[in-house]
Amino acid sequence: MRPLHYHAPGSAEQACALLAEHDGAAVLGGGTMLLPALRRGERSLRHVIDLRHSGLSGVSCGPRGLVRVGAMTTYAELARSPLSGRAAALTITARAVTGGAQLRNQATIGGSACHANPASDMPGCLVGAGARVVIQGLAGEGVVTEEEFFTGAFRTILGHAEVVTGFLVPADQARVGYYKLKLAEGSWPIATATAVLGPAGTDMAATVALGGVAAQPVRIDVSRAVTEDGVVEPTFTELIRSAVAEPWTDELAPGSYRRQVSPVVARRAVKNAIGVRP
Amino acid sequence: MTSASDTPTHVITLTVNGETRTLCCADRQLLVEVIRDGLGLKGTHVGCLSGDCGACTVEMDGKIIKSCLVLAVGADGSSMTTIEGLGTPDALSDLQQAFWDADGFQCGFCLPGHLFAARDLLAGNPDPSEAEIRDAIAGNLCRCTGYQRIVTAIADAARRARGHAGKAEERA
Repeated sequence: MRPLHYHAPGSAEQACALLAEHDGAAVLGGGTMLLPALRRGERSLRHVIDLRHSGLSGVSCGPRGLVRVGAMTTYAELARSPLSGRAAALTITARAVTGGAQLRNQATIGGSACHANPASDMPGCLVGAGARVVIQGLAGEGVVTEEEFFTGAFRTILGHAEVVTGFLVPADQARVGYYKLKLAEGSWPIATATAVLGPAGTDMAATVALGGVAAQPVRIDVSRAVTEDGVVEPTFTELIRSAVAEPWTDELAPGSYRRQVSPVVARRAVKNAIGVRP
Repeated sequence: MTSASDTPTHVITLTVNGETRTLCCADRQLLVEVIRDGLGLKGTHVGCLSGDCGACTVEMDGKIIKSCLVLAVGADGSSMTTIEGLGTPDALSDLQQAFWDADGFQCGFCLPGHLFAARDLLAGNPDPSEAEIRDAIAGNLCRCTGYQRIVTAIADAARRARGHAGKAEERA
């Protein structure tokens, strides 16, 4: 077994410098994915860069009325935060993450985003919430949209010696709904949907972001197919199904199944959102 | 630090069940391995090593965690409670007694993890519904009981903590 060197940088800048300095290095977030993979021999590393002391956890008020969620914020921290209601989509999803209180105490928002597992709760939710990703590199900090961030299954835009430091989340989404389909309590989701509805009215804006159904999250404008009474069919189903052109297949379900259930999962998320009082 | 065998190591200090312990661990070692092999506390069990089964659950800095998902070196400076800190064979905690009375375990392998999950639930919710109990133990697998007796035990422990007689006392 190759020696593994542990590093605990005190800042994101130091983490980037360590990543640049060492080949065969990986960033450790909550540890829920990397450590089992390391243990099973699926990852071979020489250096692990642990961000737990880098000052990247917590929820705070960001610029322009946005909520800033630190990359190392755990699901439980987010749910407990006084600002959790202002990052409603993320909070609802965080509370629904499977694996018990232990996992919600350990898994981080940034870790989930960077792992970019298509069949995971948080990537689709971040896209649905319209979050932006703050990335630290050697040259400084930059911001991209979540849709730019996810480039494929288990792939992100992150380059060498870059780390995600946090997320900027719009705080004015009073009506959000989340729904996920899974076939066992401890299973990863087969399909997820995050619905975000604007203020009630004839021109109500409505979007649905699907997770698990494609290599990366899919965000769909469904404004013309959603009213205060629910979804308008068959327009809604057509919009959803046409957006899932290349469905994702893994051991949980074939792509054809995921495409088939997408409108149902999306509809239930919208129903949940309509039930939320602004 | 690197040892003579070129295995990178660190000296870490943990407060475990109220006692301060300092020991050397390899950078690669998981917290559960150090709890069992470095500290000799074998009540914390190694199950899946994937974060699924919950048998390695302990409390770290006031939160329950799966100790197979933490590098021991990353836990340096933390305060922990393991199953040995909850009670002894001669003096079971109230929660342990409720599990004992309700036959809330068979082989006992998952029991430490279930006790921590239940303790965590009851600390914040003295009167949980059955759904809340089942949700609280969703991160812990049991292959013997079918969970029913575990749920009964936790509900009974909650009842006792609220000042009602437990199942065993009612039978007596």
